[in-house]
Amino acid sequence: MKRLFKGGEIATEDSPKLTRADVLVEDGKIVQVAPGITAGEGTEVVDCTGKVILPALFDVHVHAREPGQEQKENIFTCSEAAINGGVVGFVMMPNTAPAIDTAGVVKTVLESARKCRIPLYTTGAITKGREGKELAAIGAMKAAGVVMITDDGYPVSNPVVLRRAMEYAKNFDLILASHCETMELSGKGSMHEGKVSYSLGLEGIPAISEEICLDRDIRIAQYTGAHVHIQHVTTARGMNTIRRFKEEGVKVTCEIAPHHLIFNHEDIRDYDTSYKMNPPLRTPEDNALLLQGLIDGVFDVIATDHAPHTEFEKKNDFQSAPFGITGLETALPCLYDRFMSKGVFGWDVIVKRYSAEPRRIIKLPPVPVVEGGVAEFIVFDPNGSTTFTKEFMKSKSSNTPFLNQTLKGSVDVVVLKDEVLLNR
Amino acid sequence: MTPRKDLLDIQSLTDEELEFILSNAVPFKNLFKRSVKKVPTLKGRTVLTLFYEPSTRTRSSFEIAASRLSADVTNFSVSTSSVVKGESVLDTVATLEAMRTDYVVVRHSMSGIPNLIAKHTNASVINAGDGFHAHPTQGLLDVFTLREVFGGDVRGARVAFIGDIQHSRVARSTNLLCRRMGMQTAMLAPGSLIPRELPQEIAVFQDWKELYAWKPDVIYLLRVQTERQNVPFFPSIGEYHRLFGLTDERLKWARDNGIWVMHPGPVNRGVELTDSVMEYERSLIDQQVENGIAVRMSVLYWLKPGSTVEDKP
Repeated sequence: MKRLFKGGEIATEDSPKLTRADVLVEDGKIVQVAPGITAGEGTEVVDCTGKVILPALFDVHVHAREPGQEQKENIFTCSEAAINGGVVGFVMMPNTAPAIDTAGVVKTVLESARKCRIPLYTTGAITKGREGKELAAIGAMKAAGVVMITDDGYPVSNPVVLRRAMEYAKNFDLILASHCETMELSGKGSMHEGKVSYSLGLEGIPAISEEICLDRDIRIAQYTGAHVHIQHVTTARGMNTIRRFKEEGVKVTCEIAPHHLIFNHEDIRDYDTSYKMNPPLRTPEDNALLLQGLIDGVFDVIATDHAPHTEFEKKNDFQSAPFGITGLETALPCLYDRFMSKGVFGWDVIVKRYSAEPRRIIKLPPVPVVEGGVAEFIVFDPNGSTTFTKEFMKSKSSNTPFLNQTLKGSVDVVVLKDEVLLNR
Repeated sequence: MTPRKDLLDIQSLTDEELEFILSNAVPFKNLFKRSVKKVPTLKGRTVLTLFYEPSTRTRSSFEIAASRLSADVTNFSVSTSSVVKGESVLDTVATLEAMRTDYVVVRHSMSGIPNLIAKHTNASVINAGDGFHAHPTQGLLDVFTLREVFGGDVRGARVAFIGDIQHSRVARSTNLLCRRMGMQTAMLAPGSLIPRELPQEIAVFQDWKELYAWKPDVIYLLRVQTERQNVPFFPSIGEYHRLFGLTDERLKWARDNGIWVMHPGPVNRGVELTDSVMEYERSLIDQQVENGIAVRMSVLYWLKPGSTVEDKP
């Protein structure tokens, strides 16, 4: 089977410049990347004129909600949502019911994953039931295939438990991903503590709740020599802490979610629960500084923290509604619409931070669009647009601020080896 | 003036609406001097009170206001012993919708519940206090009272709020409205009960000495919450009273300086104030209660329930 993707421009992680080239794929491999390739007999031609061809995206932070919360999402619908957004592979979080905290649950989850059209990976919990008390079966879960350990949704509040987990994880060369939050300081808060929370009369989650835990977790990583991955950073101060420790040579990586670049607490008007997530939206100043951090390379990866919840759950009052928004389908168009289309950063940032580095973190090879490479890329139309209706979205849930909004850009084609997973 | 369905907070009121409510409360209050205090304004309309937080005063005030306008008033009984989440509130609202109520007066311990209800009903929703968020009719009645005290022109009057600023919807609504009407405001409380990021133009004091120096015209006492998450905000009630309460000594200062005292009620003797405040000649507490009825009548008169729009002759 031969396919020729003709007329597009290739994006790489090394340069914001796009290169005009056609891409010829044969038996799942990229056999030629050059301008003006002519299609031979029996070659299917996919017109990519005016479009960008980039390595398929990869997300290290996804809540697929299986097992136990299938009313929100399941692994299959989550994988289809990913394809719809140009994401070919993701890492699942363990805050399911039951938690992914034994080799048995890991195997069940990976069994479901095998029915999907894209490769999926899972984390395992650091502690049993994500309760922060006793270590989960880390060795057995590693043998069953986990790529990271995390209690995501909760921190490991007890520093002794975290220290032991980090020391133990080193035996298995496992990264420990950290949800940084000081639970006592967050209390019953439901949004960033600041002038908007005061005005709405909502209890706040102060920035220091995240920053104190982040600082502590990196120090423990430094002390133990473990690799800590800081999830969903939301404050500029926290980011600067990471920057400083990186300069000291600590094994710390970190991620930024698109919504923490685009939205801030001032967007929470009239108690709109589609802006409720944890960690919460911070300030406009944080937006600007985090964006600069992404451009400067402080953030290793972009990750969505895709967190589906049902309409019923999100229709609740602001305090009672669950934290989280979906993100897999909107990530690339929203980043394109808000930043790239305005020249804030180039395609290299997307390829590096949302395709190559996420794969490297979990020790997978990146998938550049080069001769001899595996065909794992997407075709994005910068002149197109996407309207995020419920019908358009493949996720079971539609809890996103972009619901029924139109964004610039469209993920038109998704290719994985010999298969075209999506062709709009 | 565009017809308005709900009264959820102070911010959304236009100047015109504000003036409409305050000026119409005057003739309503004049009714109270008559033997027959009732007018037929809302004859045939239904007002329903939905209180998820116990409150005798505010509920009665609304009930009296509605009955003096000749509306039919019903108290919809709901649990006040446990926190009822938005999803269950909406189930109740669906029931109310079927009953074709014209006005729903809501109180709830969680902020934003009235906003949620307003989106799901045709009835006019009046926020009678939600969480730490807002208590708009309290703000209106307070400003109405201050207008009476200062002969209509409240500009430049100095109002100091003392007590739990952090958790007080009254402090939010009344303070917002005072500033909007051109008054100066200040806060005095233990640091643990002062919110971060208050607007800069609000003075924050550490003790009564600083407050004295500011020369307030009015001191507005608030109830205090002693703890959250089992962590107290101050060492003891006794210490709070000594350091922040309106003690006899401070009441003497108030008397000597002709200072007015307000309180949203119900008062806690020995906490935010001393017994003798109740007999203080410049206490506005009873006047606030009386004005509450007039202002709530005016609010009911002003709002236009979604159901009335469809009315045909």
